[in-house]
Amino acid sequence: MFESMMHAAFWLSVLQIIAIDILLGGDNAVVIALACRKLPAHQRNKGIAWGVVGAIALRIVLIFFALQLLALPFLKVVGALLLLWIGVKLMQPEDDEGHGNIEGSTHLMGAIKTIVVADAVMSLDNVIAVAGAAKGDLGLVVFGIVVSIPIIVWGSKFVLRLMDRFPAVITLGAALLGWIAGGMVVGDVTLQPLLQGLPGWLHYLTSAVGAVFVVTLGGWLARRRTREGAGVAELTLADAPRGAGDK
Amino acid sequence: MKVLIPVDGSENAVRAVAHVLALRRETPALEIHLLAVQIPIDGHARSFVSKEALEDYHREEGLAALASARKQLDEAGVAYSHHVAIGHVADTIVRYARERGFDRIVMGSHGRTGLLHLLMGSVAREVSQRSSVPVTLVKPDEAAR
Repeated sequence: MFESMMHAAFWLSVLQIIAIDILLGGDNAVVIALACRKLPAHQRNKGIAWGVVGAIALRIVLIFFALQLLALPFLKVVGALLLLWIGVKLMQPEDDEGHGNIEGSTHLMGAIKTIVVADAVMSLDNVIAVAGAAKGDLGLVVFGIVVSIPIIVWGSKFVLRLMDRFPAVITLGAALLGWIAGGMVVGDVTLQPLLQGLPGWLHYLTSAVGAVFVVTLGGWLARRRTREGAGVAELTLADAPRGAGDK
Repeated sequence: MKVLIPVDGSENAVRAVAHVLALRRETPALEIHLLAVQIPIDGHARSFVSKEALEDYHREEGLAALASARKQLDEAGVAYSHHVAIGHVADTIVRYARERGFDRIVMGSHGRTGLLHLLMGSVAREVSQRSSVPVTLVKPDEAAR
């Protein structure tokens, strides 16, 4: 790892991993906060702490499996396709479908279970992307996990604000996922023999194609789904507004 | 006159409310509305959390953001309405003011420090650029008068 630190490619991977962690890690914290909302006050911090520990442990296990799997024939192609899909999905506006049923549990164990199950699913995109960006460098994988921890714990509001203020961040993130996917395809063991005689810059080409593909398709789908003039989504508040009526 | 004060629980809101209270001395017939805009939660979190739980969460966070401004107005003995909406912050403020026929938006600017200052300060800027309703931005030194 220390030798590779000299290379620009290493630092590029580091930046990619940080970007992935920021883009795909923010919602974990939201689920943790939601799952612990209904716990009694003295258990809430305990629930959050154990939830975070569980999420991180799970992420380590998942990334271990991801690295093993990506070495198998053809699975890098599958991983790349998944990344393309995650990238396209990242660019879609929020929808009302797919609402789950996890209410804040009133028991500590229930809350922790919720967090771990949700995190298993939510970490999956992050894990595939980090495994792709790390290109098998275990040091980078560990780095990716370490960077994701503060984001899981404290970063959700920051990430939400960042995306609210600078929507271009989302497009750049989607492009990055497409880029990683494009590079991943040519790294697949089944494709290696076929690519023998081809020039070394090929992976730049496929990466660029991946990035353009994700941004184009994602942008097109997002435009199709954007509903204009839906009005402001105001929440009804339990305590009636005071003073002048709400007109 | 109908005045909208978008609040985020920061010093910004305190200054904006102070400014409106000062305005009110000249124009007692002010109709004051506080608005806390919550950024929607996208992505996977939505598939694990029920709509109700998510709304409760936004409501709670919104009321927390409203708390200091409400206390300020309560202490001044002024009537007001308060609201929580979900959406892109600047966009929602602009649309809310337009749709509900407000005459003015009063916002504090530059209440945060560091990176958050950079991020949040620009909400006020974006609102003032895009709003068809007149916007008053209250900067830290102005509120001291």
